[in-house]
Amino acid sequence: MSAVSPSPSLLLASTKPSNETHKTIITPIIKKPTIPTIQCEFRSFENNSSSYQNLIADSSNRIHIIFKPPSSSLLTTASSMDLSIKHSKRVCLFYCSEMKDLAERIASASDSIELRGITWRTFEDGFPNLFISNAHGICGQRVAFLASFSSPGVIFEQLSIIYALPKLFVSSFTLVLPFFPTGTFERMEEEGDVATAFTLARILSNIPISRGGPTSLVIFDIHALQERFYFGDNILPCFESGIPLLLNRLQKLPDSDNIAIAFPDDGAWKRFHKQLQHFPTIVCIKVREGDQRIVRLKEGDPKGRHVVIVDDLVQSGGTLLECQKVLANHGATKISAYVTHGIFPNSTWERFKHDAGGNPENGMTYFWITDSCPRTVKQVENKSPFEVLSLAAPIAAALQV
Amino acid sequence: MEKPKKKQVLLFHCVEAEELALKVAAQSDLIQLQSINWRSFDDGFPNLFINNAQDIRGHHVAFLASFSSPAVIFEQLSVIYALPRLFTASFTLVLPFFPTGSFERMEEEGDVATAFTLARMLSSVPISRGGPTSLVVYDIHALQERFYFGDTLLPLFETGIPLLKQRLHQLPESDKIVVAFPDDGAWKRFHKLLDHFPMVVCTKVREGDKRIVRLKEGDCAGCHVVIVDDLVQSGGTLIECQKVLAAHGAAKVSAYVTHAVFPKRSWERFLHKNDGAEKAFTYFWTTDSCPHTVKAIGNKAPFEVLSLAGSIADALQI
Repeated sequence: MSAVSPSPSLLLASTKPSNETHKTIITPIIKKPTIPTIQCEFRSFENNSSSYQNLIADSSNRIHIIFKPPSSSLLTTASSMDLSIKHSKRVCLFYCSEMKDLAERIASASDSIELRGITWRTFEDGFPNLFISNAHGICGQRVAFLASFSSPGVIFEQLSIIYALPKLFVSSFTLVLPFFPTGTFERMEEEGDVATAFTLARILSNIPISRGGPTSLVIFDIHALQERFYFGDNILPCFESGIPLLLNRLQKLPDSDNIAIAFPDDGAWKRFHKQLQHFPTIVCIKVREGDQRIVRLKEGDPKGRHVVIVDDLVQSGGTLLECQKVLANHGATKISAYVTHGIFPNSTWERFKHDAGGNPENGMTYFWITDSCPRTVKQVENKSPFEVLSLAAPIAAALQV
Repeated sequence: MEKPKKKQVLLFHCVEAEELALKVAAQSDLIQLQSINWRSFDDGFPNLFINNAQDIRGHHVAFLASFSSPAVIFEQLSVIYALPRLFTASFTLVLPFFPTGSFERMEEEGDVATAFTLARMLSSVPISRGGPTSLVVYDIHALQERFYFGDTLLPLFETGIPLLKQRLHQLPESDKIVVAFPDDGAWKRFHKLLDHFPMVVCTKVREGDKRIVRLKEGDCAGCHVVIVDDLVQSGGTLIECQKVLAAHGAAKVSAYVTHAVFPKRSWERFLHKNDGAEKAFTYFWTTDSCPHTVKAIGNKAPFEVLSLAGSIADALQI
């Protein structure tokens, strides 16, 4: 690609937004960077604000807009062709220590998300000593906190921040908790069982409201569908899914036309079949044989297929390993797995080996997890068959709601 | 006026407060210990079961909690949120030591008051058939913390000072007892309860970068001075006070704190050594509100543990 600027067919017409009366002046300034760039300055008479739009021509001569909005003024809209500029709202994103990597990915996925800092220290007695940097600066801003409750011990310090932020005159508050723990093992079977999912929902339902009203709570693939009813009226739960990330990834596989989706039980089928209905489906089931519980095939045919087992989460992986055996015995040629949340207590992810082109009974081709559980992500990074699909883009999008 | 009839109370407790719970139950036939299965799932989250849950219906129920570290809060909170909804006649939460807030100062925007977090978590305890939950706390550190609780909670602020007074009466008459407060905060909290003793008040004065303890008012020459405060962390302030009092002629110096927090075994520097060296503190009295410290201290001189069991048993009748 030559460094000479191409003859710019400026696709940006000086269309005025219908509700604004200012004139726009387009002054093309042609520079010569390594990638041909055209920089235009828009000035509005009304408030003298300017917004820069960098237009970059790529090798196919299509022009992509990289939009950097000014901090406070109204955003000018532009119509035409491939260009679509959303009204993006600036968000100040705080985060807990263990979510630093994901927070950074979210901030780079969007120009309107700005990372903010918190000082996390402890007093001698073990209780948290916390400080929110530049607390005055978030007054009137949309604020979000990216949390991770990987163990009971880290809840209190994060909760202190979550209870404090909405009261700092923010314009709205969003809590992003990609993985909602508890409630994955427990069954309310008799009086006396204590549902810790209820405890957590109660603690979160007590988040003070902010100027923006109830706090939005973003959760991915909540385990028990009924848990959505545990939250009080001061919380607006926003239930998202990681499945679109899986769909995206499956499309890029060389054998994408030979995929079948397997659900390890009816629960998983209930949760996900609608999002995956254009794939052939296999459903497994756990059958009681004496004292044992055995996984069997209930419906569908894995023969000759690359089967992807889909579930919301994995604990130690026992169920997945059993499914894998059953599917291999029924003729699957390759087996992969996807879970949104890779919990894997006590390094149990080590039980999952790569098939290395060999027998699907002994290993998986891919094991996809998201970055909802940061401690696991650190452990499995770059270890086959694991691949981490980041929630950064869907979270960035959810923060714009 | 006739006093309301005494009531039978079923007492649950967290693991670390078991010893104190046993002592409370031993105080009265009306108090019966109950049990909870405290286990964990593989992922670290609690797996809890309240035994005989159906049998507690219609009974007055209490839970003895202890939040010695953030990590133990969630499991106890799960039980605290569950018990009132089991058709109990009433629910009382006994939290002898209300942690957080003993170091923190809200000095600028950005400081996060974790005492507020804890108060908020407790304020969302569900109400039971008996109405709002009663919350029993001993010698809360910041007097204004009493206003942090919402209307769903009925805080009952108790004090360990009566235990101290009882103990002081057992000392030889020849001891001329003087009560000393390490700062104005302690004086504000306790002077009314101890006003029949002569008093000494200390204060921290800034000298350059350092903060020095000085005597502000009162006289202690030839007396047995008892330093009184609500809690001790590592004990630095107490040691400085003792030095100042000894320098002003105190014959003996002792200390009383309701809550012996003593992070990282900092109580060790108060122990009497067997080398015959002069003892800084004759007695160091504390209560059993902080079970980890009490377990570690045992009965090692100069420490003496005054149990809150009797006081708690009485509070459960309210």
